[in-house]
Amino acid sequence: MRTLHARMRLLAWRRPRAARALQVLLLVLFWLACDRLAAALRLPLPGSVLALGLLLALLLAGAVPAASLRRGADWLLAEMLLFFIPAVMAVWRHLPLLRQEGGRILLVILLGTALVMASTALLVDRVFRWRARRAR
Amino acid sequence: MRAELLSLAWLLATVGGYYLLKPLYRRRPRWWTSPLLTVPLLLLALGLLLGADYPAYIRDTHWLVLMLGPATVAFALPIHRHRRLIRAHWPALLAGVLGGSAVAMASAWGLATLCGLDDAVRRSLLPRSVTTPLAMLASADLGGVPELTALFVVITGVAGVALGELLLRALPLRSALARGALFGVGAHGAGTARAYDVGMQEGSVASLAMVLSGLLNVLLAPALAHLLR
Repeated sequence: MRTLHARMRLLAWRRPRAARALQVLLLVLFWLACDRLAAALRLPLPGSVLALGLLLALLLAGAVPAASLRRGADWLLAEMLLFFIPAVMAVWRHLPLLRQEGGRILLVILLGTALVMASTALLVDRVFRWRARRAR
Repeated sequence: MRAELLSLAWLLATVGGYYLLKPLYRRRPRWWTSPLLTVPLLLLALGLLLGADYPAYIRDTHWLVLMLGPATVAFALPIHRHRRLIRAHWPALLAGVLGGSAVAMASAWGLATLCGLDDAVRRSLLPRSVTTPLAMLASADLGGVPELTALFVVITGVAGVALGELLLRALPLRSALARGALFGVGAHGAGTARAYDVGMQEGSVASLAMVLSGLLNVLLAPALAHLLR
């Protein structure tokens, strides 16, 4: 594992793009394995969440160095928009529904989001200040 | 043969449009220049030309949607990166994530019922505040339509960035923690990007709050689905 990591560091230093592609591939393979595992064991949670949990455990235990996956993970997270744009295009299928309820849906989302944001921020601020006062 | 070419053209248009329109946002970061909004609009316009045929569209582009799985796994790295932040501020983070998610679900359910929306729409609205891959997972469990949820998540992201800026000016928030949580819990990835513009610490808190509230939604979805049956 250590030598593998050293090789990855060397590759990242000499050919950053190749290292990124390899890291993405590793993450895809890890996800695929966990997806199969979750299905085979009939776990109640999705394979991707199982994979996230396992990877986090490996990172925290120090078994997998974070530096050896950072580039690939950052790329996947940065390009996530591209991955869900096709799902959004399902609007074509739901056009009649949206024509009928679109305005009301928009209202629910706008009001709901304002409520969520305001309550979250005020709650966090209150807990933060309460803890800061107690610490003093 | 023609159908296959059409699907391939859609894939090229999606990927090409995304990389073409992304620099626009980098040059002028506003809510209306986000690829979240511009790319679907471009594809909708193209649909008037090529025909708005979703099965033909999704045939080759479903490979892109599949990549949301590995992207979910990649969330392990930001959690690991910010482990010190979690250790230092876990009570405030926990309160924000739990409280925010509860308000998100309750407000979606209450407002949708009040507006007399369809049951499938109402269920699809429940996880709309969390990041897309996790929201789609939760939506399937809750009896919603994952694709509708993806659309609602996008609308939430675009609206959340604009709303967040207004609220930031209106609310008396003293801590970077609260400003970050506002964007992370309320407007997932789009909000997190905006939070990084406000400050480094705000961005870190936002990305963490986004992942944690997403996970909470996925883990609670089966139990909640049981309750709402």
